[in-house]
Order: sequence, then C-alpha cells, then structure tokens
Amino acid sequence: MNKTVIQAELPPELTARAETYVKEGWAADFNELLADALRRFLESHSARVTEAFIIEDVQWGLHGND
Amino acid sequence: MGTTDQGPPLVVCDAGPLIHLDELDALDLLADFAEVLVPDAVWREVKQHRPGALNHPGVTLRRITPRMAVTPELEVLAQVFSLHTGEWEALRVALEHRPGLLLTDDTAARLAAGNLRIGTHGTIGILVRAIRRRQRTKGQILAVLRSIPTRSTLHLKRSLLESVISEVEGSS
Repeated sequence: MNKTVIQAELPPELTARAETYVKEGWAADFNELLADALRRFLESHSARVTEAFIIEDVQWGLHGND
Repeated sequence: MGTTDQGPPLVVCDAGPLIHLDELDALDLLADFAEVLVPDAVWREVKQHRPGALNHPGVTLRRITPRMAVTPELEVLAQVFSLHTGEWEALRVALEHRPGLLLTDDTAARLAAGNLRIGTHGTIGILVRAIRRRQRTKGQILAVLRSIPTRSTLHLKRSLLESVISEVEGSS
C-alpha cells in the first residue's frame, strides 16, 4: 500500500502516552496507532452528520420553544 | 419536540462552546439558561486553552464532578465514538441532570448523546437562539456569524456558514 510521510507537532504528554501504548504491545508501531486514531476520528466526524447538526441548531435557534 | 413553551433549560457545557462563544464575545448568551454546568475535565481543558472564559462577568459557570457510576453502555459509547475525557464527563453530567441540554461542537459527542437521548446543541445554535430570545438583534448575530472564520477556532465549511447566514437573514 502506498504511504504518505507526514510531519506533525504533537504535545509531549500525548506522544509519551502513545509510545507507552505501543511499547505495551497494543499497537504494532507508532505509525499504525496514528493511522488508527485518524481513521476513527474521520469515521466519527462525518461531514454530512456535522452539517446536519448545524442545520438542526439553526432551526432550534430560530424556532425552538425554550 | 413539544409545542408548548418551555423555560430555558439547564445546560451542561463541553469545552468547544465555552471557548468559541468567548472568542466571539458572546459567552454572556449562556446567562439565559437556568444553570450552566461545567464538568471538571472540561473546566481543566478550558483553563488550559482559554482561561478567561471561566471568569466571564456575564455568566455564572458551576464546576461539577460527575457522581453517577459509569454504566457499561456509557463506557462502550465512549470507546465507539472515541470521546475525550471532557466529552465523556459532559455526557455523564448531562445524564445526571435530565432533561438538561448538552452544549458541544463535537460531532461524535452529539452522536453519543443522541444514543442516550440527551438533547444537544452547539455554538451556532446558541448564537442564532440569541435572536429569538432577544439577547441580540439579528444584525448583531449576522455580524458574529460572518466573523467566525477570522475570530474563532470554530471550523465550519465556508458554504455551510454561508447557508446558515442566508437562513438567518431570511428569517422573520
């Protein structure tokens, strides 16, 4: 599989926790952990769903009954 | 949703709306709610990124520690939606204070809340609601909405923001 090399700045505490997670054997390596975290974020933050929530917010804002 | 008028609900805040409303000089809009609860983890997050939001003279925030035991359902939801500690605590506090609203700008937290039948809204909803609640004029809120890309860290697709602005402009 083609891979893209990226450079990212991460908070040291977050990096340390991720490294510990890898050392304990919960992920093959740091790259796999990062890819998995990114995949999960994108799965749970679908643009379509986010958009639907914003539209719902506007309707509530304009026409809600509280 | 019912059709009868209800008083302003109690709200539980995640970090996003506190930070974004403060960036937009609109944190005082939260003063319209019956009570504004801020879970411990959210408090710490806001203190780190936008400490001034916790001491705004226009609104009283009540820091709160979740008391309810964590249910297996909640634990699974936190994992499935990859919730951060603050979002997780906010859900727990919202569960303890039904039928309060959870204020969050995080899509995953809103999805998780939906699974728990907790009502949610975000920064945009609070801003637009301010017109209906006569806290701001329509013109003032339109100016705030237009300033979101330059004044806040709330990231919205440009076309969606334009559509929100059009909807508010066209409202009576």
